[in-house]
Amino acid sequence: MFKAKTMTAACAVATLTMGFAATTALAETPSWCGPNEASLALLDGFGGNSWRLVTTASGAEEAAKCPSITQYEYADGQGDTQKAISDINSMAARGINAMVVFGDAGPAVLPALTNAHRAGTIVVPYRVNVGGEAGVNYAKFIGSSFFEDGVSWGNWIKEILPEGGNLLFLSGPAGNSQGIDELAGMKSVLDAKYVFINPEPFAVTNWDPSLTQQVLSAEIAKNDKIDVIVSDFGPSLVGALPVFAEFGRSIPALATSDGNSLSCFWEQNKDANPDFKLFTVATGNDNVRLAVQWAVALATGGTPPTDEIFKAPVFENSVSGTPNPVTCRPDLPGSIYLSAEMADDAQAKAVGQ
Amino acid sequence: MANYQQTAGQGGLAFELRSLKPARGFVTVVISTLMLIVVCAIFAPSAISAGGLAGSLPFAAIIAIVGLGQMLVVQQGGFDLSLAGGVSLAVVITTHMSGGSDAQLFSSIAFALACAVVAGVVNGILVGVLRLNAIVATIGMNALLYGAVFAVSGGVPRITTPLMAQIAGGKTLGIPNSVLFALVIMLIVSFVLKKTVIGRRFEAIGANPAAAHAAGLKVQLYQAMAYVFAQLHYCVAGILISGITREPTAFQGDSLLLPSVAVVVLAGTSLLGGRGFPISTVIAAFFLNQLSQFALAVGVPFSAQTIIQALALVFGIGVYSLRWKQAATKRALKSKMEETDNV
Repeated sequence: MFKAKTMTAACAVATLTMGFAATTALAETPSWCGPNEASLALLDGFGGNSWRLVTTASGAEEAAKCPSITQYEYADGQGDTQKAISDINSMAARGINAMVVFGDAGPAVLPALTNAHRAGTIVVPYRVNVGGEAGVNYAKFIGSSFFEDGVSWGNWIKEILPEGGNLLFLSGPAGNSQGIDELAGMKSVLDAKYVFINPEPFAVTNWDPSLTQQVLSAEIAKNDKIDVIVSDFGPSLVGALPVFAEFGRSIPALATSDGNSLSCFWEQNKDANPDFKLFTVATGNDNVRLAVQWAVALATGGTPPTDEIFKAPVFENSVSGTPNPVTCRPDLPGSIYLSAEMADDAQAKAVGQ
Repeated sequence: MANYQQTAGQGGLAFELRSLKPARGFVTVVISTLMLIVVCAIFAPSAISAGGLAGSLPFAAIIAIVGLGQMLVVQQGGFDLSLAGGVSLAVVITTHMSGGSDAQLFSSIAFALACAVVAGVVNGILVGVLRLNAIVATIGMNALLYGAVFAVSGGVPRITTPLMAQIAGGKTLGIPNSVLFALVIMLIVSFVLKKTVIGRRFEAIGANPAAAHAAGLKVQLYQAMAYVFAQLHYCVAGILISGITREPTAFQGDSLLLPSVAVVVLAGTSLLGGRGFPISTVIAAFFLNQLSQFALAVGVPFSAQTIIQALALVFGIGVYSLRWKQAATKRALKSKMEETDNV
């Protein structure tokens, strides 16, 4: 009964929010939304996790701000390169005017993108580098500055640890360019006083919580002194951090990306762990918004945004409280991202909870 | 070597080893594990420290449980590639259906077990009764199970319930509960396989289905049941993962397929079917897990970690699959013949 009521309330709120958003959109059309009508497709290489669900919903929300977009399509490549390529081809064949593409497979999707571009579709790949060049293979690539993330983390580490110390950097699959860029960013601000104790260039976790747990427990057992853990996927650490308790040690400072489950974990454990400071950069769901703005601007004859690279802003800082103190929303699912522009309730709906 | 007594002594030992043949896999895996522990103590003491083990043993327990499941299928000359889907489905059912609430935990676990039985029965009918190739049938089942994983979860991870975290992630008398689960399952499997009529028949059918059929045993039924019990093992492993890992992904089973086969092979179970070695399988799981912990503790690059694990697998297959003695005799014979030819 209670659940049903909550659901009704949530639906009502969601409807109101959407209604409100629609009114605002009608009231003031953004400058990137031009007068020419167009259709838009969002193509995902892999859509099966909460980050992607929130990102996809954000893309749809952004496109809905422009009344000139008459048709909106979405396709999920399901982690299958062949399907991702055939999705691109079929959208182009259907005469979609603009497509925003998360090219997970990297350069493998470039030929399909190039064909669509030559056929006159506005193609905007984002976040993952697909190779090629703007104007030849596609209209515009909207990257994300992982280097900047590294710089933000590095600066914070210098603040809390002016005398230097031991850093443990965890990233995803071996050799992923995101981790390498982030490391370069950190190294640009940190000098030799700061020692990376992980194997070069980063400890491999595949962004898998279970592997992260194993890697972390091995590193903790090996190193008596870990001052800061840096990770580019904060929520995957939630399962692993309690390992410190096994060794009777405090969880150290953490520089990472945000997630509701991580913030709530910090809330619950900060008192028992005196060294546990938390610093997060936005996890970057809004990267898709910038890409949608570019695609819509080019397809409808609007004014393109000034930014060409999405720079994830600093989100939480448990030490200074600026720009935000750590915010936990226990009433909302752990798998949403409070840093995203999308409303919290809408995100909860997007991840199906 | 010239000493006759010594030679006689060695002959005696060899004779004893032959008479204790079932222990061969056990001896090899125990010696390898002890050697690994010594190597760890010298080069990477942190890998065998109490804290290090507390962190890594639960994962060894998981590998042990899926390994025991895979062993049952391998004993019947089969292969179960639906392991990944089975484990992942159990993970998402326990995390999603319970919705983070302890009250619904046990009903969701019951549902997960029911799903495992259904998947196992279908596998069993396809392979045991309809005689489909095990690899083909179970790979299809894996795809179906992943369909169910997406239907339940949408691919989204969810945080486990506090009770589940306590059950699977907690400790009793300083031992991780997951390890206790693995040990209890091992004892049950060992007892049933080695001390009950059903178990003896199961092994006999694995060793020679034609002879077993001639002896009047229900070969199809036993072969089919291997898949059902294998799925139940995967399901238990998945349920435990949902407690050990606080926010498990929907694809947690993927990384377990290779280790499951590796421990079965390392423990000495023939890929052609026959005897199973549950205790050796569990020790092999500890060995394999400790090996990756060792690689992590030494701090070798990721590429080297993968290579070390692959070498362990090759070593395991090498020890059991090749007939070293026969090969040596053949070689000796050949060189002798060559010598004669030259003369």
